[in-house]
Amino acid sequence: MRIVNLLAEVNEQECNGCGTCVKVCPTLAIELRRREDNGRSKPLAFIDVTKCVGCWACEQRCPSHAMHMVRHPSPHRIAVSTDDVERTQIAALCRKARLHPEQVICYCTTTRAEEVAAAILKGLHTPEELSQYTGVRTGCKVECTQPILRLLEAAGLPLEPTLKHGWQLYGRTVTAWEVPEAVKAKYASRGFYFDEDITLLNQIVAASEE
Amino acid sequence: MRPTLKPIPARKSQYGIDPDLLTMRGSELPDMTSVQLTDLFPDLPQVIYPGPQGIATVRKATTEALADVDMSMIQVKDSVNILASHHGFTLLGGEAYAEMLRTIRDVVHQRTGATNIRLRAGVGLRFRETEEYIQRFGLDEHFGGKAEGIAPIDRGVPIETDIGTLYGIAQAYDARWIIHAHNSDVREVHFHRQVDRAVKPFGMSYARIETRSTYHQNLGPRAANFVARAIFDSPFVREKFAFTCFLVMAPHGVVRVDADNNLYAVNDRLTRDGCRYYGKIMTLLGQIDDCIAILDFPAPVPYNFSAGVIYANFCGANIDLFDLDNPLPPYTWYTEAYYGKDGKPLIDGIPPMNPAIKMCIHNYAWAGYPVVFFAEQVPTLVVGEEQAQLMRDDPQNTFYMDHAMVAPSLKKAMHFAQRATGSDNVLVFDGAAGGINVSPSLADLLTRKAPAVATRVEDELLPRWLQQRGLQVA
Repeated sequence: MRIVNLLAEVNEQECNGCGTCVKVCPTLAIELRRREDNGRSKPLAFIDVTKCVGCWACEQRCPSHAMHMVRHPSPHRIAVSTDDVERTQIAALCRKARLHPEQVICYCTTTRAEEVAAAILKGLHTPEELSQYTGVRTGCKVECTQPILRLLEAAGLPLEPTLKHGWQLYGRTVTAWEVPEAVKAKYASRGFYFDEDITLLNQIVAASEE
Repeated sequence: MRPTLKPIPARKSQYGIDPDLLTMRGSELPDMTSVQLTDLFPDLPQVIYPGPQGIATVRKATTEALADVDMSMIQVKDSVNILASHHGFTLLGGEAYAEMLRTIRDVVHQRTGATNIRLRAGVGLRFRETEEYIQRFGLDEHFGGKAEGIAPIDRGVPIETDIGTLYGIAQAYDARWIIHAHNSDVREVHFHRQVDRAVKPFGMSYARIETRSTYHQNLGPRAANFVARAIFDSPFVREKFAFTCFLVMAPHGVVRVDADNNLYAVNDRLTRDGCRYYGKIMTLLGQIDDCIAILDFPAPVPYNFSAGVIYANFCGANIDLFDLDNPLPPYTWYTEAYYGKDGKPLIDGIPPMNPAIKMCIHNYAWAGYPVVFFAEQVPTLVVGEEQAQLMRDDPQNTFYMDHAMVAPSLKKAMHFAQRATGSDNVLVFDGAAGGINVSPSLADLLTRKAPAVATRVEDELLPRWLQQRGLQVA
């Protein structure tokens, strides 16, 4: 769930068509299109305002400082309702991903696992669609990456990058339950508390079953 | 009454309000005083900076520390990346860390003849933050145009580790050699818990989003700290690693520079120092039963400094953050995740955010880090409509002002806070060097309680903390 109150805008004089913005946009709202300029064709960034949620990723990484954030003409809230999805299905998907449905997975937008699970069950099957409709991964763009991939994987969906050569997402990584026993044994005395943390994480998931 | 200490100046930044809008600092409130950290804990080591000779002492200390470091692996035609992190630039105004970076570059060039020496400066969640510091401290000029800020959404590189594939920022590792140039300031004790603190940037400021999310969501609050070690110990990183150089901090300033080809040797030294010096001040702050906190520093809410301790740690000072038998700090992202829709924890035993903080006055702090949780847990007054709008426009905090109120001025905010809370204890997070700006009642409390805290840490807590990390006191 997110408030969309800003939009990205391209300054076409400053844009050099490098495509960095295309590679970092979490909703795939940007593409390069060729424009005529003094008789020459050059690639320029084009923003689909229906997909842009004003996350600042393009503005923050454009090497030419050609992206600017402007007030959205129609500020609005984006969210996916959980009301019209079977509660047991949401809970089962979250449990499979080892998450509690009410667990916050996106701290910036306070989006919970149940909303992302509902979105997946309703047919949103890529990280970028999830970002566009729930707002997840459009705040810091960083910390909620793995729970998104865990839920998609739990739903049996492929985790291939949507945009070839993009930098949106590279892959799912290890979870607590997958750390090799040899690693845990080797570093048992150094303060990592591997098994104690597994117990804590399992408690959270078990609380959802209650 | 001791006069207040000068706060760290406000900074012009895309992440904060225009400093000209900041009309009053917390230390300028009536009847404020200060305490010196060396009065609270006389055993604190002597600082080399700040001092009468300024950053010259940092250059001297860095050069001396590097004298014993083997650099023979670096050939004249090799490329070298000096890896830095944003955090160092928030310490004491940032000049000390910048000078250490300049000195490392100069010494490497002098001793090896290498000229292709780059600076790669990683960030937290403000992706252009180190670009600002590179300009501010003239690092682009010093590195001959080869200084870049890098961000976690930049192009990645897979790194095969003992726990599977993790991902680094490609530009951090695009040289033949890397030099890990960091600082020992404890900062995020709620996250790292002083476990592998010296290794942390390999899982954070040099890492991609996949890795950082692994840390904060996949492994658990303590096991997460293995991510950095896994990456550092990978063949990919070890093959590039030349040496490390640290600005060694205590709560009151820079105490030395430490450099070594063995990062884990540095890590063990810094673990002892960190637990001892920061453990004492954090345990002392945990003795406060009620107070009003004023945020007044050029960093986001959790990273406002006081006495070398960040506000996020004060929010957790109601438990012992160094004790690893405590699974969840009152604030960490794992903790925040486990609050349900009704605002209550999902399981029993999750400690609340420090109930001693009766109100937070957000006088000056940057955007660029998700802090809605802080405003949900602690009654918060934001000074000025400009600061409120800054937070509303921040994609990480669009809901912050749903939980905080706007006060027209700092004086009015303080008047309201004192009437609402009944507390006379005021603690200012303004980065003042060497001490803390406080109200007289809080100065008295801290001074009275410090000796017993020091004894308890030395005799009881420090041995326990170190034993949990596989170390002895000496």
